[in-house]
Amino acid sequence: MSTLLLGMLLTSCQEWLDIEEPDYKLVSSKVFDTEETAEAAMQGIYNQLYQASFSAGWLGSTTVLAGLSADNLELINTNTFDLLGFQNHQLHPENSYNEGLWGSAYNMIYMVNSLLEGLEVSTKVSPETAQRLEGEARFVRAFTYFYLVNLYGEVPLVLGTDYQENAVEPRSSKQAIYENILADLGIAANALGNSYSSGERTQINAYTAKALLARVHLYLENWELAEIYSSEVIAASGTYSLPTDLNEVFLANSPEAIWQLSPIGNGTGLTHTNEGSVFIINPYIPSFSYVKLTADLVNYLDEEDQRKIDWIGYHEGLDVYHAYKYKIHNATGEATEYSMILRLAEQYLIRAEARAQQNDLSGAIADLDQIKQRAGIELLSESNPGISQSALLEEVVNERRKELFTEWGHRWLDVKRWDTTEQVFAPYSPDWESTDVLYPLPATELLSNPQLLQNAGY
Amino acid sequence: MKFSYRQHLLRITLLWIGVTPLSGFCQQIIEGQVTGPQDLPIPGVNIQIQGTNRGTTSNFEGEYQLVARPQDTLVYTYMGYISQKVAVGEQTQINIQLKENENSLGDLVINAGYYTTTERERTGNIAKITAKEIELQPVVSPLQALQGRMAGVEISTGTDTPGAAPTIRIRGQNSLRSEGNYPLYIIDGVPINSTPVESKSSLSFSGIDPLSTMNLSNIESIEVLKDADATAIYGSRGANGVILISTKKGKGQKGIQARVYKGVSTVANKLDLLNTQQYLEIRQQAFVNDGVEPDEYNAYDLLLWDQNRETDWQEEFLGGTADITDVNISAQGGSDQTHFRLNGAFHQQGTIYPVDLQYQKFTGGAHLEHRSKDEKFQLGLALNYGVDQNELMAGGVNFRSKAFKLAPNAPELYNEDDSLNWETWGEAGLEHPLAGLYNKAEIKSHNLVSSLNLSYEIILGLALKTNFGFTHFNSDEVVKMPQRSYNPSSMPLHRSLNTQSQRQSWIIEPQLNYQHQWGKLNLNALLGSTLQENQYDTFSVQGENYVAEALIGNLGAAESLLHAQAKNTQYRYQAVFARLGINWDKKYYLNLTGRRDGSSRFAQGNRFANFGAIGAGWIFTDEAFFKQHLEWLSFGKLRGSYGTTGSDQIPDYGYLDAYEATPGPGGLYPTALANPEYSWEVNKKAEVGMQLGFLKDRIHLGVSAYRNRSSNQLVAYPLPATTGFNSVQANLPATVENRGWEVEFSSDNIRKGNFRWQTSLNMSFPKNELVSYPGLEQSPYAHTYREGHPLNIALLYKYEGIDPETGYYQVIDQNGDGVYDQEDKVVIQDRTREYFGGIQNSLSYKGISLQFLFQFVQQEGSFADIFNAGFPQALTAEVDQNFSAYQQVSQTYEASQAYSRAVQSDLTIENASFIRLKTLNLSYEFPLSWIEVLNLSQAKFFLTGQNLWTLTDYKGMDPDSSVGGTDFSSLRTLTAGVQLNF
Repeated sequence: MSTLLLGMLLTSCQEWLDIEEPDYKLVSSKVFDTEETAEAAMQGIYNQLYQASFSAGWLGSTTVLAGLSADNLELINTNTFDLLGFQNHQLHPENSYNEGLWGSAYNMIYMVNSLLEGLEVSTKVSPETAQRLEGEARFVRAFTYFYLVNLYGEVPLVLGTDYQENAVEPRSSKQAIYENILADLGIAANALGNSYSSGERTQINAYTAKALLARVHLYLENWELAEIYSSEVIAASGTYSLPTDLNEVFLANSPEAIWQLSPIGNGTGLTHTNEGSVFIINPYIPSFSYVKLTADLVNYLDEEDQRKIDWIGYHEGLDVYHAYKYKIHNATGEATEYSMILRLAEQYLIRAEARAQQNDLSGAIADLDQIKQRAGIELLSESNPGISQSALLEEVVNERRKELFTEWGHRWLDVKRWDTTEQVFAPYSPDWESTDVLYPLPATELLSNPQLLQNAGY
Repeated sequence: MKFSYRQHLLRITLLWIGVTPLSGFCQQIIEGQVTGPQDLPIPGVNIQIQGTNRGTTSNFEGEYQLVARPQDTLVYTYMGYISQKVAVGEQTQINIQLKENENSLGDLVINAGYYTTTERERTGNIAKITAKEIELQPVVSPLQALQGRMAGVEISTGTDTPGAAPTIRIRGQNSLRSEGNYPLYIIDGVPINSTPVESKSSLSFSGIDPLSTMNLSNIESIEVLKDADATAIYGSRGANGVILISTKKGKGQKGIQARVYKGVSTVANKLDLLNTQQYLEIRQQAFVNDGVEPDEYNAYDLLLWDQNRETDWQEEFLGGTADITDVNISAQGGSDQTHFRLNGAFHQQGTIYPVDLQYQKFTGGAHLEHRSKDEKFQLGLALNYGVDQNELMAGGVNFRSKAFKLAPNAPELYNEDDSLNWETWGEAGLEHPLAGLYNKAEIKSHNLVSSLNLSYEIILGLALKTNFGFTHFNSDEVVKMPQRSYNPSSMPLHRSLNTQSQRQSWIIEPQLNYQHQWGKLNLNALLGSTLQENQYDTFSVQGENYVAEALIGNLGAAESLLHAQAKNTQYRYQAVFARLGINWDKKYYLNLTGRRDGSSRFAQGNRFANFGAIGAGWIFTDEAFFKQHLEWLSFGKLRGSYGTTGSDQIPDYGYLDAYEATPGPGGLYPTALANPEYSWEVNKKAEVGMQLGFLKDRIHLGVSAYRNRSSNQLVAYPLPATTGFNSVQANLPATVENRGWEVEFSSDNIRKGNFRWQTSLNMSFPKNELVSYPGLEQSPYAHTYREGHPLNIALLYKYEGIDPETGYYQVIDQNGDGVYDQEDKVVIQDRTREYFGGIQNSLSYKGISLQFLFQFVQQEGSFADIFNAGFPQALTAEVDQNFSAYQQVSQTYEASQAYSRAVQSDLTIENASFIRLKTLNLSYEFPLSWIEVLNLSQAKFFLTGQNLWTLTDYKGMDPDSSVGGTDFSSLRTLTAGVQLNF
């Protein structure tokens, strides 16, 4: 028998080494062999948005870092040098938070590209499902590039998964990136339905795509299109409305939510949002808290502004003001708050600005008053119905800061697009330079991709 | 009649163990005495029945006794003496006188894995230690027993926790990936996965030792294969060396042996720290210096805490004693054709820490050997089974660091009801230092290693052999996290972490062995092949919100289950291997080995690779010239080898382009870039060596020089993040070189009458160098390695002195950018051992014998833990004695930054060389005349000590853990026991 075995082994064939695939890995090509696993790949993207630093709402997120760069947030403890760099505009290309921001965004883009490539060759996923998944995925890609282009300027436009190609991809023009964003969003808006089929506002639908289209067009100063898309979202009043109680805005599936992320995606069993945990002062060990609101922002809101009452908290021990839009610092069990990405109030503000720019002042006043009314402050239609266009635009600027602080870096991006960085940031940031409007590309990127050049000033 | 009692007993014993029916009919009991020159008795002589494994050894009076048949021939062998053969015939009493041998190296058989060789004939570098040196050591892992005993073998335990996997490096680190440096472990011919088993307890850093379930008393020998000649036959798994563990076989020497020892372990050292009064003075000084008003936040130790309280935290946390108990029983017996050996053992070890934790190990083993009457067919079966029950801390509380952190006047840790005193600590704004204390991991591991060897001699000289092996390792870990472990204000829940791991493997290795002699030409050929499959499964889940603490761990009682993770991996391996050993006149040796390996860890197309080596030896003292002119040189051999080995120690399925489950529910995502191209790491080894024997081989000297180069390093190749990831697994042309010298020396100093004194020494001078690494700067290793330097380095700031302006430590900002970062760390400290070794002495006089081993190491370390004067934490007493060497006492943020840079600078470099009395063993064997009445054939009393004494200039706890200064890895252990043979 042994002779036989020996003989067999000596001439043995290679098939012996063809082992079965493990049960914790699914070969990429098989992911798109069934509808369930293709859906799971999209769910993976939703889940990972809650893990990716740029979108998770934790310290390394756009919300916190761009908040520090703008005039809304400040560090409580300035020990963390890498965070301080964002606050005082002294970023180094080695900054680890900057690396995380950049890397996590491109990791998300890889996931989307991998899903799109998988769907393209798949014959097993029904056209309806494939279309929907493609729409959702393209939206996420557009959303991610929107932040990349606004934080870094021209960036490599990576649309596939081949790492050998992507490793030498040079920067693309802003125009090319925006074209791709609009194309992705256009496909998403067409491909997706108007409802939240899962019953949760964590799903991307046609309105989500239109809401982002409205914002992108606003940024591109296509006022008319910005108005059209925001109007479409606002018109869906059966789905979206502004809750009168500001404490209800950030609840899970709040009627104001156009797109939210569920903290379930972190997979730890903790069900508070990262925003809640990063902004609310640590109730057990207060000194473990990181950020506070700037005095400038706190004073900016009138005392009677309901947003100051409901959305800003004060901690006596540390003598600091903190964002209190999310009410829960830590929780397990059912998630009652979701992390907000797109909400209706922004759509009103987009339309107000677009209308004001097109000289539709009364329309703009009406939109702004929607926001002011909820905040319990004086309405423009009552106090100053004859306001000039420039003053009205100034009102939009003010209202955006008051409404959207500590959400997704709105303030940083707004001041940049209004081109008023010098006036706004230089006074409190002594080392301000005009090149600080863009973050540096991480140093490791330049080392490993010789095609890339650093942003000016770094 | 001296032996009458024992004859009787022996017969009873044989009946009792029921082997008489197996024995031949004409058995007779042979007894006698072995003496040497001047009629002095020689103890420990091996007496074997020729052609069998059966035999016995002489006691310290040179006496022996065994059962044999008239047609048998007895072979008497002893190191340093000429072997003798005596036909039994009608004799019942055989006294024999041995003559000293000029050349005894031929007697020392060395296991080379697939074949055996002798110390005289080997062309490769193989180190060996035997049961005598291993079995009495009160350690858990067999590898720990090797410390200081082998040239080129470096073992560090890193922790005193029983069951933790020690780190072993044979001739240095070859792979840039720390997880790619495990040697191949082989127990009785069966490979064991050497990667430590995952744990969530305090072992999470090192992992669970896959060898911890071995019984040290059951090990016959451990051989370490080092050079290409010895390791190339293991092909792709030989790059980091091979460790062969052979368990004890029955030798037909019928009898029962029982051994018990008990002992205690304590921490061997204590650092001199400031007392409360001295400490508080420094703290007050800090506020004076800084001009800061102390308040309850920054000076809780001055304002809130008792100013007269004093606790010696080292005593409190590290002052305990751990008990050790070890019981071992073995029985062996058999007939002409069949022998067996059974073994059972129990080992228990407590902890030095102020918690109630136990380590327990139960092992059982069975060996069966059988050969047919015509000697053509042989069978060997070995079963080794072990159960480990290990209780460990799991809440992140490290008493070893806490003992050097807490201020001497820190408040009481416990309330009167023994719960943790959260309030007092909370008032100071501090988390309780022992938060997590009650978390406990209970790990149960079961390990079965079994092997079956069959061999049949088809025609004279040609044998067909097949090894079958099966292993099963199972570890079940429950980490219990009760509420009371955590601050009640954080509303903790009763939780558990349950982890199960299972490893299973089987192997078949059919082999053909051919031996022939043509005149002076001897040939030994081997052809074999391997099929192996490993299965590895893990499952872990977290149970949350148990109703009661007593139910923690029982998943059925948890309110919710979270984070269930399961993984199963399969690994398959196949190989063909061959060896051709030829020699001319036992003078010129040539050894060719090779292997063709295939591994499932690589993608199709890259699965196969060839490895091979050539070794040669020349015994020049057998040449007429040397015989005539250099009589004092009794033995001389030159040998050399060159060859390649490989390493496939990479994760399974790494080449697969695949999705995995996201941490969040219901999702799948790609976790890495796939590179189907990657292939084996290649390790080229070269060695030359010389072995010399002087004065009739009473002195041996072995010197070897080696150079190993590992290239085609399989590492994470850096990519820009725009690819979605930071790296992809790929082979880089990076090269790591290990080169060095090894010296082995042994001497039979005195052999006079009943007195014998032997000394042996081993010494290694290793050099390790990262020869090249293209793209190192962008790689994940950019701040770990430097080209042209060893892998084990520390990158440090250049210390400049104390800044006269601020009074704080100052390091140099090399590039002047105002920021202290990696770029400024220009001092490269080599932390590789410069040289290391051990000296062992064995002395014996009549029944008394004494052995002691000194381990010595020349190396650099660092002392960086306890001189942050001004901050609320423990301080070395030197801070008070030598004020000017330290920065101005301060509690400012700037001071702490300056301190943290200083401890990352060359200021902390310390000489961490040491000489340590590693083991000491004293035993007394009672004279036969005393114990005969008790029906004993041997009775021995012994004392063993470990790490009893250390000579070092190092300021920290233990120079064997020479980074930081407050860590330690070895405990001082004293044990005493008895061994009885029936």
